[in-house]
Amino acid sequence: MVQKTKQARTGAECSAEAMRQINPDVVAAYPITPQTPIMHAFSQYVADGKVDTEFITVESEHSAMSACVGSSAAGARTMTATSANGLALMWEVVYIAASTRLPIVMNVVNRALSGPINIHCDHSDSMGCRDTGWIQLYSENGEEAYENTLMAVRIAEDPNVLLPVMVCQDGFITSHSVETVELIDDESARGFVGEYHPKDALLDTDKPVTYGPLDLFDYYFEHKMQQIDAMEHAKDAIRKVFDEFGQLTGKKYDFFEGYLLEDAERVIVCANSSAGTTKVVVDELRAKGEKVGLLKPRVFRPFLAEQVVEKLKHAKSVAILDRAASFGGHGGPFFNEFRSAFHEEKEKPAIINYIYGLGGRELDLAQLRAIFEELKAVASGDVGHNVRYSGVRE
Amino acid sequence: MVNIRELAVEKERLAPGHRMCPGCGLAIASRMILKATKDPVVVANATGCLEVSTTIYPFTAWRIPWIHNAFENAGATISGVESAFRALKKKGKISSDKEIKFLAFGGDGGTYDIGLQSLSGALERGHDFVYVCVDNEGYMNCLSLDSLIQTEEGLKKITDLRVGEKVYAFDQKTGNLVLKRCTGIFDNGIKEVFEVSTDHHSIKATSNHPFLVVQRNGKQTRSSLAWKKLENLKQGDEVVTLKRIAKGKSYTFKKIIASKKGDYKVNKINPVTLPKRTSPELMEFFGLFVGDGWVREEKTEVGFALPEKKEGRNRLIQTFRKAFGQDITSFDKLYVYIYSVNLSRFITSLGFGKGAKSKTLPSWVFTLPEDEKEAFVRGLMLSDGYKLGESNRYVSASPELLRTLRLLLQTMNYRVGKIHIQTKKKGTFVVYRKLLEDSSYGYIAFSRKKKPDMKRYLSQIKQRDYLADNQWFSTEKITSIKLVKKEPTLDLRVEGEHNFIADGIVVHNTGIQRSSSTPFGAWTNTSQVGSAHQGKEQFRKDLTAIIAGHHIPYVAQASIHNYVDLLKKAEKAFNVKGPAFINVICPCIPGWKISSNQTVQVAKLAVDTCFWPLFEIENDVWTLNFDPGENKKPMTEWLKLQGRFKHLFRPENQDRLEKIQKHIDERWEWLKKQCGK
Repeated sequence: MVQKTKQARTGAECSAEAMRQINPDVVAAYPITPQTPIMHAFSQYVADGKVDTEFITVESEHSAMSACVGSSAAGARTMTATSANGLALMWEVVYIAASTRLPIVMNVVNRALSGPINIHCDHSDSMGCRDTGWIQLYSENGEEAYENTLMAVRIAEDPNVLLPVMVCQDGFITSHSVETVELIDDESARGFVGEYHPKDALLDTDKPVTYGPLDLFDYYFEHKMQQIDAMEHAKDAIRKVFDEFGQLTGKKYDFFEGYLLEDAERVIVCANSSAGTTKVVVDELRAKGEKVGLLKPRVFRPFLAEQVVEKLKHAKSVAILDRAASFGGHGGPFFNEFRSAFHEEKEKPAIINYIYGLGGRELDLAQLRAIFEELKAVASGDVGHNVRYSGVRE
Repeated sequence: MVNIRELAVEKERLAPGHRMCPGCGLAIASRMILKATKDPVVVANATGCLEVSTTIYPFTAWRIPWIHNAFENAGATISGVESAFRALKKKGKISSDKEIKFLAFGGDGGTYDIGLQSLSGALERGHDFVYVCVDNEGYMNCLSLDSLIQTEEGLKKITDLRVGEKVYAFDQKTGNLVLKRCTGIFDNGIKEVFEVSTDHHSIKATSNHPFLVVQRNGKQTRSSLAWKKLENLKQGDEVVTLKRIAKGKSYTFKKIIASKKGDYKVNKINPVTLPKRTSPELMEFFGLFVGDGWVREEKTEVGFALPEKKEGRNRLIQTFRKAFGQDITSFDKLYVYIYSVNLSRFITSLGFGKGAKSKTLPSWVFTLPEDEKEAFVRGLMLSDGYKLGESNRYVSASPELLRTLRLLLQTMNYRVGKIHIQTKKKGTFVVYRKLLEDSSYGYIAFSRKKKPDMKRYLSQIKQRDYLADNQWFSTEKITSIKLVKKEPTLDLRVEGEHNFIADGIVVHNTGIQRSSSTPFGAWTNTSQVGSAHQGKEQFRKDLTAIIAGHHIPYVAQASIHNYVDLLKKAEKAFNVKGPAFINVICPCIPGWKISSNQTVQVAKLAVDTCFWPLFEIENDVWTLNFDPGENKKPMTEWLKLQGRFKHLFRPENQDRLEKIQKHIDERWEWLKKQCGK
């Protein structure tokens, strides 16, 4: 019988709790704000013997991911956490982890990439990794970060997937804020996560394997196709894990979660904590009779384009909010992918983009009200500039 | 205890068949290290020569678990593997008595430079592993095949070519045969290989290999030559082929150790004067030898199967007298014998082979002048050849001989057909005698190419052969293009012309940067020798001393030439609890510009000059393993063997040589003091 307890926790502590329950074999990590509380909490668990994890305090993030690759290839369940420039520093190995098909789970506490150096929240770090071959899960609050981390292990280790997973949450806004969260008991969590049965472990010296050979032009493309196929399989694996975990918590999980979406005419699409803020404005406007709604991406990679179309096609106008800019691109990362999902559709809503919240700039209720207001004009055909900016001084 | 006899017969953990250069120091070092422990070993390898040449997908040379991650993180990667081992043991998922040794290999690139941080972190954290730096003093990059290339020194296997050697190429502007320097030899991996055949030539190549073909555009004047990839070639396309090679000159023989009267146990000697260089008579004699001769050194016998009263025997006697100044005295109805220690040694040294099935043409025959080559062919024809109408036929039981003879004839303006193989039963009369048993042999047919009337019919002749008026090249139609199989492939880069002659067809032509371990003054591609700067301008980093600063249980410096020392050190490193580090000097053939047989000699001299001292640091106690004392050699002894230091020997660089010697002497004195001497 699953036992749920309500606790007051920061987002970082939630991730640490999930890691404690998972009890990974190896964690290799390097500190960087705002990921640090995760590792501080986890270090305390290690010191108190609450986990059996071998904790490697590496000397840089590049070495953190490198050690994770070594450990995971050796056959151990491996986890880590980082943010922003730490993620950027390990970028080369992040690609290698995915192409080596290692089920590493990493918490990415979203923070702006330098320069100038800024320790506050935006999504430029995880957006920069969208082509690395990692599965990406986004978390609205601490409770989702906790759930996503537990589910990530099962998704990654699915034999048809074997891809690393990054679980994202907003730096400071989520990671350092205390909220009431509902966590499940250790036994249920451990039962759900289960044992790791590695394939082709380096430590199985009776069956020697070579990891990381040299590919020439005659094989590299086919190897990449295998990764592409794995991402396809991930869609099914994620669906299965969502259903199974949903039975434990009683909640319903989906790739894109709607809030008062079914009959909404004007919709905002945004991820992480901004979704929570948007829900407040949606409730407010609904009380006044306005037909507004929210679509929150929970899974960005793999990108389930069919579901985007299915859930948004009835709307009249949609504002895609990006907490990251793609310099020189036409709009931000979410905008380009969501919009392109509608390309073949005959009936589609008018879609515009708002770049917001860079470097921790707050997305407040006033901005969201203004966006819903602008969507009225967009719905009646006056699209204007389809890439706009919210919250920046002109 | 190091027992070299036992270790030599142990199964190799690094399987043969990898692509490191012949003579590569890394291969020697890594094989030896892997033999220093009986426990299972898991390897983390940094990007580098060792990694690239042992794991070209889908092949691997590693019979043990092995992981390559990236260039700078062998230390971090092995930390992860080693930690996983301890974690899984703790959880009972790996049995508590299981022993595994963790080994990281990194080149000087992945260790001194980009990989230093990762190594330092791993050492500081105290993981139980051994890190071996296979130091070849630079970011080197390097490779196998049976193509024969026309070079200045004759026909050579592509695998025997060295960068800097001159090969024959087609000058596209003048249409002449020119000599060009080979500027690179590189590996193309395992590819599908096709065989392109014309009437008289065939070559194996990959589908993206460019060939020079004739582009016919209607009227003769509009036709031209163009490069076309093999995948775009079809039957009937005309490719440019080699007609003949340049003038050539008489070959001067290498000296052999000749016995003379008065030597130990030598009281009787057949006074055969060994010729110093080739001549037409000598080449005709060799032709007779290749066809019908044999050598039995143990009997000091050189024999010929040439029956009496035949032209072959007459010519043998005449040419032998002319070339060696001696008369043949021993013969019977069917055979001729010459008994001479020196002659038999001499003939063996020439490279023709010894017996019927092993005969071949050595590359120097290709460099001879026309008249000597013709004499050689004459001799061959007198032995195993016969005429059939206008066509000459040559028969041999040696396929290699037929292959090389065919190439030789092509350089002499002969038309040569395919090699035909036949089997004849025992007792059949062949040429002059009955076969003693069933035998398989081959033959080729060849004939002189007729000289067409160029003036009158040039345009028509060019329709058939676009390069008819070119004295070096002609064109031939492709008769077939067949997929052969998947093979390891190699390619050449040639300066200027970007083409070279391989197997008679004109074909197009495809590392070495400084690290902080590169010695002062050395040439590399990023520390070039020019008018403003000459080679690397910094002295190399003393990595072993940096590692010593981590105060780990075991640090050592070793060399591949002293394998007892190296194996002992590797054994100690594996057995120590905690991190261990060994720095091994591994000479590099292309990077140091030495010959593939000089690896060990150059490593030894590095130690004898105190450039690379052998020492150990066990729990912070420094011990010198080898002190050459009065036999310490000057640095010039080591530098002069390597092409990368050639420029240092110019008179204006004398001061740099002195600087180097001074620096090495200072470091040596410092080390001796550290070791309490």
